[in-house]
Amino acid sequence: MAGDAAVPFVEIEALRSREFIPAAKEALSSMIAEQGQSKLIRPVFNWAGRNSLFPLHWGLACCAIEFAAAFGARWDAERFGVVPRSSPRQCDLMIVNGTVTWKVAHKLITLYEQMPEPKWVIAMGNCATGGGPFRTAYSVVPGVDKLVPVDVYIAGCPPRPEAMLDGILRLEDLIRLRKE
Amino acid sequence: MTAAPASSVQWPELLGNSLIALEPLEGTSGRLRFRAADAERVFRAVHDAGFHHLTLVGGIDWVDHREVIYTLWSDERKSYLFLSTDLPADHPSIATATKVWPSANWHEREAWEMVDIHFDGHPDLRHLLMPDGYEFHPLLRSFKLHEPEDLEVKVRHV
Repeated sequence: MAGDAAVPFVEIEALRSREFIPAAKEALSSMIAEQGQSKLIRPVFNWAGRNSLFPLHWGLACCAIEFAAAFGARWDAERFGVVPRSSPRQCDLMIVNGTVTWKVAHKLITLYEQMPEPKWVIAMGNCATGGGPFRTAYSVVPGVDKLVPVDVYIAGCPPRPEAMLDGILRLEDLIRLRKE
Repeated sequence: MTAAPASSVQWPELLGNSLIALEPLEGTSGRLRFRAADAERVFRAVHDAGFHHLTLVGGIDWVDHREVIYTLWSDERKSYLFLSTDLPADHPSIATATKVWPSANWHEREAWEMVDIHFDGHPDLRHLLMPDGYEFHPLLRSFKLHEPEDLEVKVRHV
């Protein structure tokens, strides 16, 4: 199925680690060249992507406390492959956990633009979803979807860590269905 | 060994006709109303009387006029002192206190941002809590809360 690849795809797993990456690269690129964005390749990338979602490690308000608790011993979000990273360059998921003010809005957009594609956004809590109790305040963005595209909304003030994990699992369902 | 509290200072002699009213100095604190035009002289005199710590500069919008309040603390006298002055609503402007108390810097930025009181001679009068270019003064009584439909106006300021 790999066409004229130097190493047949099925034998890649038997290779030593030093040879694995060039062989896998060649096999995959030949498959992509042959089939384009095919039904065969996309599920593999989706599978890899949804099982290693790296959220940006930043907190805006009190939801960040629940965000932190979700990575603690009791809920342990890392069992879903969710590992917070400190640099937006290493992230593919932004969890907006708190009230977004107009002062921080353009920094949020900068961080979002610094993340490499493909990327997703979760609006965690009522403030990020729609401004929450501060919806008409002079300093608060009424919903982070006014600034960046949001994939999953999590209700709660703040949501419990279970709700955050449920939101991540919903996002994984969305990624599973990704076609393009 | 500490100096006498604020109530023992001879404010009328110290400030002359810059002093408008001297409200009863209860306990160890007191409240002085002074003429805004003499602000710099009043600040210097009060500072030299021992009030070296500026706790707060606040602005109030009374619709027909604005008020500025300075809260001061003296470690030597162990007493608070409140200075206040009225400014006209059409041109609320007063000399900066940063030359006497450097800690007035951010307080005056906030008072300018929120209730539009201009501090003449301030070294860095720009926005503190709102993004640069925000053209409203949200704690004025005349300010209307934004509905989300008005978002187009605000997005331009991001």
